Amino acid sequence: MKLIERRVTPADSPLAVACAMAAAVVAAMLVTSLLFALYGANPLQAYGALFHEPLATWRGFGYTLVRTAPLTLIALGTIVSWRSGFGYLGFEGCFVVGAAATGWLALSTAPGGAIGPLPFFAFLPMALLLSFAAGALWAGVVALVRARFGGNEVLISLMTNYVAILIVQYLVSGPLRAPGGVPETAQLPRATWLPFILHGTRAHAGILLALLATLLVWMLLRKTPLGYELIVSGLSPSAARFGGIDVGVRLVLAAFFAGGLGALAGTVEVLGVQHRLMDGISGGVGFTGIIVALLAKLNPLAVIPAAVLYGGMTVGANAMQRRAGIPSSITFILQSLIVLMVLASDVLRRYRVNLAALRPAAKTEIG
Amino acid sequence: MPAFAMRKIVKRFPGVVANREVDLTIEAGEIHALLGENGAGKSTLMQILYGFHSMDSGSILIDGKPAPIGSTRDAIALGIGMVHQEFMLVRRFSVVENTVLGLKENSGPMLDLRQAGRRLRSLSDQHHLAIDPHAQVQHLPIGVQQRVEILKLLYRNARLLILDEPTAVLTVHEKDQLFSVLRGLRDQGRSIVIVTHKLQEVMELADRVTVMRDGRVVAAVSTRETSEQELARLMVGRDVNLRANRAPIERGRAVLRIDGLHVCDEMGQEKVRGVSLDVHAGEIVGIAGVDGNGQSQLAEAIMHLRAANKGSVFLNDQEVTRLTVAQHRALGLSYIPADRRHVGSIPEMSIADNAILGSHRQRTRGLFLDKRKIREHAERLIARFGVRAASSGAVAGKLSGGNLQKLILGREIMQDAAAIVVEQPTRGLDVGAVESVWLELLQERKRGKAILLISAELEELMNLADRIAVIFEGRIVGILNAASVTVEKLGLMISGIALPNATPDQSA
Repeated sequence: MKLIERRVTPADSPLAVACAMAAAVVAAMLVTSLLFALYGANPLQAYGALFHEPLATWRGFGYTLVRTAPLTLIALGTIVSWRSGFGYLGFEGCFVVGAAATGWLALSTAPGGAIGPLPFFAFLPMALLLSFAAGALWAGVVALVRARFGGNEVLISLMTNYVAILIVQYLVSGPLRAPGGVPETAQLPRATWLPFILHGTRAHAGILLALLATLLVWMLLRKTPLGYELIVSGLSPSAARFGGIDVGVRLVLAAFFAGGLGALAGTVEVLGVQHRLMDGISGGVGFTGIIVALLAKLNPLAVIPAAVLYGGMTVGANAMQRRAGIPSSITFILQSLIVLMVLASDVLRRYRVNLAALRPAAKTEIG
Repeated sequence: MPAFAMRKIVKRFPGVVANREVDLTIEAGEIHALLGENGAGKSTLMQILYGFHSMDSGSILIDGKPAPIGSTRDAIALGIGMVHQEFMLVRRFSVVENTVLGLKENSGPMLDLRQAGRRLRSLSDQHHLAIDPHAQVQHLPIGVQQRVEILKLLYRNARLLILDEPTAVLTVHEKDQLFSVLRGLRDQGRSIVIVTHKLQEVMELADRVTVMRDGRVVAAVSTRETSEQELARLMVGRDVNLRANRAPIERGRAVLRIDGLHVCDEMGQEKVRGVSLDVHAGEIVGIAGVDGNGQSQLAEAIMHLRAANKGSVFLNDQEVTRLTVAQHRALGLSYIPADRRHVGSIPEMSIADNAILGSHRQRTRGLFLDKRKIREHAERLIARFGVRAASSGAVAGKLSGGNLQKLILGREIMQDAAAIVVEQPTRGLDVGAVESVWLELLQERKRGKAILLISAELEELMNLADRIAVIFEGRIVGILNAASVTVEKLGLMISGIALPNATPDQSA
C-alpha cells in the first residue's frame, strides 16, 4: 500500500473541499511570508497588521463592509452568468453603467432637477430598478449577439467595458459635469444617500442589499425551475435542448441577471461611498468581483466570506504598510496567489493519504 | 512455454479490488479474447500489462522469464503494444509523424521522416493495411485511424497487440477488414488480445477466451469448446436470455407519422432525403443502417432538435414538425438519444436532477422545485428500473453506462409518452444491461406505445422490431417484415449492396 495514492474519483464531500481550500490559503500565505522576509519583516507581525485593522477594529470593519458590498454583487453576477454557460467579463462596464444611471436619477431629484425632490423610500426602488434595467440591457446585448450570431461573449464583453467607461467619461466631462476643475458631477442630494448603518464607521446599507441579493441568487439557482434550467444550459447545452429548454433565451436571461447585479454594485458605490459620479469610479472592482466568485467556487453562499476576505485584505494593506513597512502592493500578490492556489487545490482532492502505510510490514489481505 | 503470462495479479484501488489473483496466458500466434462486463477488471489487467498501472502483487512472465514492467516505456521495449479505445493520435500530424512521436531513434536534432515513411509503407503493404504514411490523421476515417494505431505498434515491432474494445466505433465493413488484418498478424506468430464484451466477436475472431467477473478469472477456454450462451452465463453469473420473447400483439392506429422528411446536418449536407414512415401503437419499427446514413438527423428532426427542410411529422394526427422540443414532450413524444453522456444526461448533476430533465417545469410547489417529490420520483425510477446507485443524490456521471442508460430510459418511459424514439439504446452496454433494456422496450410495446428503434445492431432489430426499415444514404430503401428476414440479408442491405426484395408492406 502506498502512502499517497491516487483516487479513482476526486473526493467531493464539503469537508474535503473546505480542507483543500484552507490548505490553499495557508500555502499562499506561506509563499507570501517569503516576500515579507525579503523586506526584513516578521511574517506573523505582517499578517497581524494585515488582518487586525479590517477585521478587529470597528472603523476598519466598517471599511471592509464598504468594500465587500460591490464585490459581492459582482461576484453574484459572475456566478449567475458563468454557471449558465455565459462567460461574461463585462462587469466593469455594467458597474459604471449602473453608477451613471443612478447618478443621473439622483441628480434629477435635486431641487430644480428634472424630477424634483423625492423621499428616499420612493427614490431607492426607482434607482435600483433603473440601474438593474440599464445593466441588464448592457449585458443583454452581448448575450443576444452570442445567442443569435454565435459571437464570442468573452471578447465582446471585455470590449464593452471600454465603451461603457468612455461613455461615463464623456458624461462627467460634458453633460453632467459640475462647474470646477475636476471631471465629475455635483454631489448627489443628501436625501439620495444610502444610510450609514454602523455608528462611527463608513459602512452603509449597501451591504444589506448585497446580503439580500446573495439570498435571492442562491434561491434562484438552487430552488427554482428557472435556476435548474440555467444550470443545465451551462453544464450541457445539448442536454438542455434535449430537455426542451430554449438555451438561447436562458443565455439572455442569465445576462440580464449578471448585468443587473453588476449595475447594482455601481449604484451601491455611488449612493454609499462617492456620492457623485466621476471617471474611474469602479477602481477595477468589476474584475476583482470575478476573482471573488472564483474564490467562492461559483457558490453564492460562499461569496460573502470570500468577499470579506478580499475586501478586508484591501483595507488591511495600508495598515500593513504603515505598521510593518511592507509595500501594500504585496497584498495584490497575496490575493492573486490565493486564487491560484485555490484553483490548483482541486489536485489535492484527487489523492488520499494512507496513514496505514507508515506502519512497518502492515499485513495486506485480499479484500 | 507461453509467450506472455500473468500470474496471480492482484490490484487494489481504494474501496475496490480490481484484480484478485488473476492468471492470464497468451500464446504466440493466437488471438485471445478477454471477456467481461464493464467493471469486471479486464481493462485494469491490460493496463498493468502495458505498464500503465503498477500491480500490488503477482508477476508477469515473457517467454518464461520474469519481465520487470514498471512503465509503459518498459512494456513497449518488451514488445507489448496497446490500441486504446480512444485513439492516441495527434490529429493534425501525418501518419509518419504520429508513428515516430516519442521514439528514441528520432532523438537527434533532425527528423528523418522519409526513412520512417518508407518503412511504414512496406509494413502497410505487407499487412494489407492500405495506409498512406503521409496522410494527415484528421482526414482519415475512424477505421483507418485504428489501422494507423496498429501500424504504429508494428513499426515498434510489437509481439503482443492489445486492442481495447476495437469494434466499438467501426462499421460492419470496417470490422471485417480489421478482423482480417488481425488474423494475418496472428498467422505471422504475433499474439493479440482483444478486450471486449461482445460475445459474437469473441466467437468469430478469437482462438481462446478468458472470462472475468468481479475481478476474478471465471474461465479460460478455447472458443471451439464453448458457445455464446455459455460465455454469457460465465460473464454475467446467471442465465441470460439473448433472445427476447416478443409476443404478437394487435397493432393499433398510427401514432407517429413521418411524411417526406428532408434534413441537413451542420455542414449543410442533406442527410435525410425524403423519409416517410408510420409507427403504430403497440409496434416497434426498427431503422437499420450503418452509422452516418442519416439516422441521427432523422431522430433529431422528429423531436425538432434539428430543423427539417421539408416534410412533416405528425403525432396523433396533429402536425408537430415545427413545434418546440418542450411542446413535443408535452404532446407525448419521448426521445432516448444515442449520446448518453452529452445529450441524454448531465453527468455533473445528481441522479434526481437528471431524472426530471424535460419534466422539471411540472415538479414545482409554488415558485420552487419540490425537492422532496423530485427525490421520491428519482427513488421510484431507481427501484423500478434497477439502476444500481448509492442514492438519488449521487452524481449521474459516476454511473456505469448500463445504469446511466437505465436512468435515461426510465425517465423517458415514466413520462408515459404515446411515442418513443430510441436511438442506439444498447451501444457499449454489457449483456446483462442489454437484456434489461430490451425487456423494458418490449414492455412498453405491450402497453401500446409506438416505438421507433434506431439501431446499428442487427441482432437487436431482429429481436425487438416488428418491421425493419433499412436506411441507406438518407433514404429508406426497404421496409421488411422482421419475421421473414435474415441477418445476412439485412447486413447486405444496410451496406447498400443488395436491393430490397422484400414483400412490400401494405400499411407502410
